[in-house]
Amino acid sequence: MKKLYILPVLMIMLFSNCEKVVDIEVPTIQPKLIIDASFEVFFDKIPVNANTVVKLRLSADYFEETIPTVTNATVFLTDLSNNTIINFSDGDADGNYEPLNPFIPIDNVTYELTIIYDNETYKGTATKVKSTPLSKVEQGDKTLFSGEEIELKISFKDNILEENYYLFNIDFYNFLTIEDRFFNGTNYNFSYFYEDENIEFPQEIDIKISGITKEYFTYFRVLVDQSGQNSGGPFETVPSSLLGNMINTTNKSNFPLGYFHISETDTFTISLVEKSN
Amino acid sequence: MLLSKKILILFFLLSITAFSQEKITLSGTVYDNKNNETLIGVSIYFPEINIGTTTNQYGFYSITIPKGNYQVQVSYLGFSTIVASLKLLEKTTKNFKLKEATESLDEIVLETNIEKLNIRTPQMSVNKLSSATIKQIPVVLGEADIIKSLILLPGVTSAGEGASGFNVRGGAADQNLILLDEAIVFNSSHLFGFFSVFNPDVIKDVKLFKGGIPAKYGGRLSSVLDIYQKEGNSKDFNVTGGIGLVSSRLLIEGPIEKEKISFLIGGRSSYAHLFLPLFDNDNIAYFYDLNTKLNYRINYRNSVFFSGYFGKDFFGISENFINTYGNQVANLRWNHLFSDKLFSNLSLIYSDYFYGLTLDFVGFEWDSGITNYNIKYDFNHYVNDKIKLSYGINNIYTKFNPGKIIPNREDSGIVAEKLIDKYANEFAFYLNTEHKISDKFRMQYGLRYSNFTRLGQDELNVYANNEAVIYNQEFKRYESATLTGIENFERSDVIASFNNLEPRVSMSYIIDDFTSVKASYNRMVQYLHLLSNTASPTPLDVWAPSGKYIKPQLLDQYAVGYFKSFKDGKYTLETEAFYKDIQNRIDYINGANLVANNEIETVILNGKARAYGLEMLLKKNEGDFQGWFSYTLSRSEQLTSGRTANEPGINNSEWYSTPFDKTHDFSINASYKLNEKWKFNSNFVFQTGQPANYPVGQYEIQGLNVPIFDDNRRNADRLPAYHRLDISATLTPKKNKNRKWQGEWVFGIYNLYGRQNAASLAFRQNQETFRNEAVQTSIFGIVPSVTYNFNF
Repeated sequence: MKKLYILPVLMIMLFSNCEKVVDIEVPTIQPKLIIDASFEVFFDKIPVNANTVVKLRLSADYFEETIPTVTNATVFLTDLSNNTIINFSDGDADGNYEPLNPFIPIDNVTYELTIIYDNETYKGTATKVKSTPLSKVEQGDKTLFSGEEIELKISFKDNILEENYYLFNIDFYNFLTIEDRFFNGTNYNFSYFYEDENIEFPQEIDIKISGITKEYFTYFRVLVDQSGQNSGGPFETVPSSLLGNMINTTNKSNFPLGYFHISETDTFTISLVEKSN
Repeated sequence: MLLSKKILILFFLLSITAFSQEKITLSGTVYDNKNNETLIGVSIYFPEINIGTTTNQYGFYSITIPKGNYQVQVSYLGFSTIVASLKLLEKTTKNFKLKEATESLDEIVLETNIEKLNIRTPQMSVNKLSSATIKQIPVVLGEADIIKSLILLPGVTSAGEGASGFNVRGGAADQNLILLDEAIVFNSSHLFGFFSVFNPDVIKDVKLFKGGIPAKYGGRLSSVLDIYQKEGNSKDFNVTGGIGLVSSRLLIEGPIEKEKISFLIGGRSSYAHLFLPLFDNDNIAYFYDLNTKLNYRINYRNSVFFSGYFGKDFFGISENFINTYGNQVANLRWNHLFSDKLFSNLSLIYSDYFYGLTLDFVGFEWDSGITNYNIKYDFNHYVNDKIKLSYGINNIYTKFNPGKIIPNREDSGIVAEKLIDKYANEFAFYLNTEHKISDKFRMQYGLRYSNFTRLGQDELNVYANNEAVIYNQEFKRYESATLTGIENFERSDVIASFNNLEPRVSMSYIIDDFTSVKASYNRMVQYLHLLSNTASPTPLDVWAPSGKYIKPQLLDQYAVGYFKSFKDGKYTLETEAFYKDIQNRIDYINGANLVANNEIETVILNGKARAYGLEMLLKKNEGDFQGWFSYTLSRSEQLTSGRTANEPGINNSEWYSTPFDKTHDFSINASYKLNEKWKFNSNFVFQTGQPANYPVGQYEIQGLNVPIFDDNRRNADRLPAYHRLDISATLTPKKNKNRKWQGEWVFGIYNLYGRQNAASLAFRQNQETFRNEAVQTSIFGIVPSVTYNFNF
């Protein structure tokens, strides 16, 4: 509910017809370890289950076509309330580490993620963040700019007792960060305009709402900004480095990128139908 | 106000000088014979004694010379020179009416005196353009544009097409003081920067001070753009207008009582469906300007002016998205002549900028703005033939509304919130002396004292150790401190107060009649900061006053110049070198969110800036073929050091380019008058590409491909160089000659060879091939245009 909505609009309106791909030589750096560990606890499911994958990759040069996976790391989680250890392994050698035994993070417990890679140890901690169920998602008939978008009317009830930050994941790579500062404790509703040129109706899409920390909210806002979903222009904010919450405890200067976060997540599946116009 | 009265009296005392028996004073006003508009900057010159002066902003002049019989030359560019014999034995009032030069008088030799005087005056670093020149310069879509024209002169750049504001000598866009009839204008552009807000028909005089800024002006660091509107024809009813591709304009002026009361009302409006062809949904975008003026010449000693400007932009897409913003300025002035040597102007000014946004799909309305009330009392005191004083006081009270959010419909779920309003008062007084020390050496020196008081607001945030930003050693990043409390104030309380002395000095040494060298130093203070973290400002950026957490910006600028005119002023060469040093220039922590932030101090880092460069302007002023060649070589940098040795600051505490740093800036403007019917004009512009940030790598988080940026190479890369060629042709039909209706056609082509100039470079993943790409966005290809201008 910020410039996020406004500036892309200007970009679309004013610059859409004059884009071209250019050849640019970009600088390079030594590869860095990338830790993508966003755990989701599906609290509204019966029985409750969780996505607890730790993805390890290396950063690559910008125009490189493949991103290298890291398959030879040691990954484990420590429950700091009782110091029990949960070991992770990469069974199919794709860089995605999963717990040896299914595991569901519990409330009010801080977990420490440890990764040992290339003789360096990386650590970070997280505690599960509460969320709220989606009360309703409906398809609407309004459009925004191009006239091609599909309106999704999303509503949920915000918890009045705390400062909440939410991450919405709408279908695959559409992310939206929202804070409850302007709607604390209300039944909040907003419209999201979903755009997919290759959509075939009817199309089922998944909508996820996750409770996140304030820090992860800031992190993700910048992440979405920098991922190029906003296509630049004179109103683009100055890009900067984006460091997460993992630390290299062996060699501080070789800091990793990525984040360790645990959220409660609710999902909603909706079948989109073709508009009748 | 008691204080200010005392200061005034002090000024009067200061300026009393010995009366000399042998000298008399000649004073008066210079008008345009056609419409009785007063003329600014007209030269009044006595060749026998080599003494001269120029008219002030209200057309008034005063000169004290020995008694005697003289020839006087009254000359102004574009007008026939008046040469008169005057018998000056006592105090004399003499008004002059200049006639527009007919073609045959175009190359009148006496015009060189203007150039001579420009060479002599200590004032340097000024860019000037006449309204006639501005209308001929080819511009995008044929919209004659003051700011886009000024950019063709040395030392002035913009972030590019579709970018708001302009940058002067490596300064930021918020460091320009833009005055319209002495009122501060906050927003200088329409449609997010495509057009500037000034209707060229209404403009009488435009001056841009880049350095050597007189003590009269204050409050911004980099430049003063001083624009005066016409007063309105007090002889005849007159209509001027133009029909263009983007907008049309109409100006009506005329006398209410002949030669006494006149009015002017000018409007300009774009066509409502500017963007409609682009999309098939219900969208609307337009802007308009309304300029009004009423003036009453009560008698020789008194004149009263009322002027107003109202501008608005509207941009909406069905009911989903409505964006509106604009400036309103109203201004009442009283010119009073205390004596033939003491001219005064009192101004009461109201200025307001509003920004509003409705986003129906998230259910809210947002508005923010800034309002100020300004009182100014300025005096021009023509003490004797050697000394001219200007002095005055100025008080500005400002209210800042950083934003208010309200639900726009019943089921919205948004809870209304008001960001805390801020209040400030800025008081200043100044004294400026123009001193002719000898025939060869002249000085202009002055001092401005300014006081800025941050007045009480409802709530002021408090942080531990007064540190609003903390550095997190573990995660190597700056973070916002958490609030530890709130202080409450009465409106009359003082939260913070700043006092500054701003010395201004410039001097000229005349080597011969055609050559001079000049030097200047000025200190400027700016108490307001525009919060903007983008390459160029956006309309939703808000202003923040200095206070407990933000210090005022301070500038020291040094400039030297060499000025020469050749062939009796046919050609002029101006070269200048400048160095600027700025304290307290703010930058932002990584990930700073500036929108609707009630704790803006928690994302701000304090730093400094500097800029230096060389400027050159070679001009051909006369003849069928006229034009200029301008080149600027400059550097503009910023430094944001860590507060302690453990903090990296920005760019590892090393200097980095500002977003508007352009090494080379080169432009040519040429106009050619083929005959009475056809005139041609063309521009060529070449600029170093603006600073950019290239990614140093990539990674993936949750399926999103993200570029890696290196904090130690801020603004280290560049966009490709910018260049383009524009042409225009003006057709004045022959049938104009014998009728009242005067029409002309202006045909233009902007960006003739279709250069795709990069407005930005985005690094992103292609959504179909999933490969990373660098995507260059350019705004204008070849843009043809046609405009019809008329006058009757």
